[in-house]
Amino acid sequence: MALLSVQNLIIGYQSQNGLLRAVDNISFELEKGRPLGFVGESGCGKTTIGMTLMGLLPSNARILGGSIGFGNKDLTKLNEDQWRNIRGKEIAMIFQAAMNALNPVYRVDEQVIEAIVTHRPDISATDLDKRLKELFDLVEIPQNRMKDFPHEYSGGMKQRVIIAMALACNPQLIIADEPTTALDVIVQDQILKEIKIVQQKMNTGMIFISHDIAVVASVCKDICVMYGGQIVEKGTREEVFGSPRHPYTKTLLGSYLSLDNKGEIIVPDMREAADLKLENGYCRFAVNCKICSRACKSRKPDWIEISSTHKAFCCEESVVRNANE
Amino acid sequence: MLKNPYIQRFIKGWQIFIKNPLGKTGLIILFVFMVMALASFFVPLISPMYDPMTGIDPDIKISTGPSLTHWLGTDNVGRDLFAQLLEGAKVAFIVGLSSAFFSIVIGTIVGMISGYAGGIVDTILMRIADIIMVMPSLVILLILSSLFGQFNIWIIVFIIAILRWPAVSRVIRSQTLSLKHRPFIEASMVAGASHLRIIFRHIMPNVLPLAFLYMTFRVTSAILVEAALSFLGFGDPSQVSWGMMLQWVWKSGHMFQAPYWLIPPGISISLLTLAFYMLGRSMDEVLDPRLRKEGQS
Amino acid sequence: MSKLYPAKPPLIKIEGVTKEYRPRQGFFSRDHNKVLALNHIDLSIEKGEIFGLVGQSGSGKTTTGRLLVKLEEPTSGSILLKGMPINELKGNTLRDYRSKVQMIFQDPYQSLNPYLSIAETILEPLEVHHIGDEITRREKVVDTLDTVGLSPGLDFYDRYPHQLSGGQRQRVAIARAIVLNPEFIVADEPTSMLDATIAIQLFKLLTRIRETHDMTFLFITHNLAAANYLCDRIAVIHEGHIVEVNTAEKIINNPEHPYTRKLIQVQPSFAFDRKSCL
Repeated sequence: MALLSVQNLIIGYQSQNGLLRAVDNISFELEKGRPLGFVGESGCGKTTIGMTLMGLLPSNARILGGSIGFGNKDLTKLNEDQWRNIRGKEIAMIFQAAMNALNPVYRVDEQVIEAIVTHRPDISATDLDKRLKELFDLVEIPQNRMKDFPHEYSGGMKQRVIIAMALACNPQLIIADEPTTALDVIVQDQILKEIKIVQQKMNTGMIFISHDIAVVASVCKDICVMYGGQIVEKGTREEVFGSPRHPYTKTLLGSYLSLDNKGEIIVPDMREAADLKLENGYCRFAVNCKICSRACKSRKPDWIEISSTHKAFCCEESVVRNANE
Repeated sequence: MLKNPYIQRFIKGWQIFIKNPLGKTGLIILFVFMVMALASFFVPLISPMYDPMTGIDPDIKISTGPSLTHWLGTDNVGRDLFAQLLEGAKVAFIVGLSSAFFSIVIGTIVGMISGYAGGIVDTILMRIADIIMVMPSLVILLILSSLFGQFNIWIIVFIIAILRWPAVSRVIRSQTLSLKHRPFIEASMVAGASHLRIIFRHIMPNVLPLAFLYMTFRVTSAILVEAALSFLGFGDPSQVSWGMMLQWVWKSGHMFQAPYWLIPPGISISLLTLAFYMLGRSMDEVLDPRLRKEGQS
Repeated sequence: MSKLYPAKPPLIKIEGVTKEYRPRQGFFSRDHNKVLALNHIDLSIEKGEIFGLVGQSGSGKTTTGRLLVKLEEPTSGSILLKGMPINELKGNTLRDYRSKVQMIFQDPYQSLNPYLSIAETILEPLEVHHIGDEITRREKVVDTLDTVGLSPGLDFYDRYPHQLSGGQRQRVAIARAIVLNPEFIVADEPTSMLDATIAIQLFKLLTRIRETHDMTFLFITHNLAAANYLCDRIAVIHEGHIVEVNTAEKIINNPEHPYTRKLIQVQPSFAFDRKSCL
């Protein structure tokens, strides 16, 4: 049974240039135990999805259509009071540079306690104490550092506190939005390991959002690749990264810099930004796609199944299927 | 042409500005007074009787209340009060705006140089600013006036400007300090630009909006200082202003007998300064994104 | 070896450079807290190479770049351009230095004056150094815009930064850096705020400029993989010390210093076949 089921979600932003569809008719499902990664570049809509799942859309954004099934609720239909009940308790978020979210004048344990007590106001003192120790153990911060102030912590430790606070009430779903982007690569490694341990131990559902393919690949089992507000390819990690089908996924992987491929990078020729005003359904990658044909501009792409779990969103079936299929 | 950043900023600023009720009210009040100030050029042309300084109604020798020929009435020598009020509006604008303008020019230049140069130059300039800032401008003007005799209006404008630039310079200096380390300034340094070029070509356009904001506050204080000065009898005796009107109503002993004479200039001073203040507050919202209400980017 | 024919000096040489920062204390306190951003570093950059300086935040890599363009001065040690020390440069000689050494900044949204048009931004170095006249300057700017991929140059000439994307703005920053035909450019994390697909296009541009303009680059980054892609040699910097310098190939495949090894070890990687991306 899917923990989260998003169907045909459309989110628009009111801007000076008119209504922009930041998220254009996307659907996906999340299973517990299978972290789902959203990967894409700036403006693709992945952060908007994260914000929507926390009910934190800015005032100039609207959910224009679709549904988000979480348990027996539809998250698109909640008001602020109902959201307050869910945020932090059932759905929690770890976001970028979250270490700046710690209040410098309160001790670290006090802040974690606040996270716990907000949603469990009648927790007993002994239970509170036990929970506190559990959380700090979970994120591997030694007991004797619990009463420090945030400025005494390193960047990595602060991020771990944020993770502990997100886990405080045993949420069913954690959304991690670029949690390691502001960190040094060595600390990033530690935090990613931490996130994986935590996710496995607590068996929480997880959505991991990042522009860094490798980071997403190290944590997630399923991937959605996004471009211009649309999901262009989805599947398991092995399928999407091992056998990419959509032209954008190929472009993204082709430009990825790793340590062992100096001569084989494929430099893309992407000049234009995605047109977020483009009408519902048309391919937003068409302007930059090398394989794009004239037909792509007049036809709407559809989901082409490559396997039961692997799909790509394109107009041209021949583009997406390999020669020997 | 339309893409010029100055114009773009102005348009965007206007859209935010106009949503603020404070800004709208201030603008409306200002507009009314501006019309009054412009009218003051034409009213004496209708009849010499309406000249605010010298226009005496031959039929009236004492202060009278509002009537059809004299909408606000006359003062104790028969001059039309409404014409005086209009003239006062003109003077208030001239004094306010020119004094503010001079303060801004001095304050901006000093602030930019102080912030940019730092070190000993900064210290000296800011200490001078501190000393001047604590001087009570009204008292200084009174002292100078009693020493050197009554000043003409332009000297008053100039002295107010000299005494009021420090407040501007402090703000401009902070802004300059924060701009100094912005990458585009460093890029110009690396390109080899001289300090003067950086100050006037790069820093100035970025501090000018703030300078204009503070100009509105300077206008308020200039108008009030001039009014107080005139009221106390140290203003320019050849110039009609609202403060002067208040001086006359007081000196001629009509303060409690002629409300039609006392109230209009008093209210005008309050309203005009209030209008500029409202303007300044809403401009503040335009310039500082953090002050904007939800829903505006 | 005979000293009669000394080997040609490297283009840039950094010798024993230390940079201290003293946070300002009160008049009466003793200064015990100094921060050593750079601790006796030595570095040589040869003409024509793209030299990578890889380090994490706080390592001193940005400080090194700033010292090279004289936005800051070293506390001790010296920096030499073609064998001539740059410590004492002032006035005309300093301006001369600035025409030879330029910088590309990290943040494309902050490194262009929002009130100046693209043309005005790129014209500035030419105006400051009194190069050419109005007509030749205009031609040079248009040419440079074409060179950096903002074609047609005339189209972009009158635009303003807010009309351009991050990648385009960074191209303008590159144009400004090359318009004087300098000998050496410090690129301080020029792509860390850009998407991967845009970053790669800019790397291609930088490599092309190295060929066409006979340029030498110092490429400062926290991303070892990017340095490996772009650079001939790499220096790894950690807490103000240069821990290892070698060719890119050796650094990646044969790292000697434990810190370098750790950096390589923690790079997240995943299995994928680049050929499947064609």
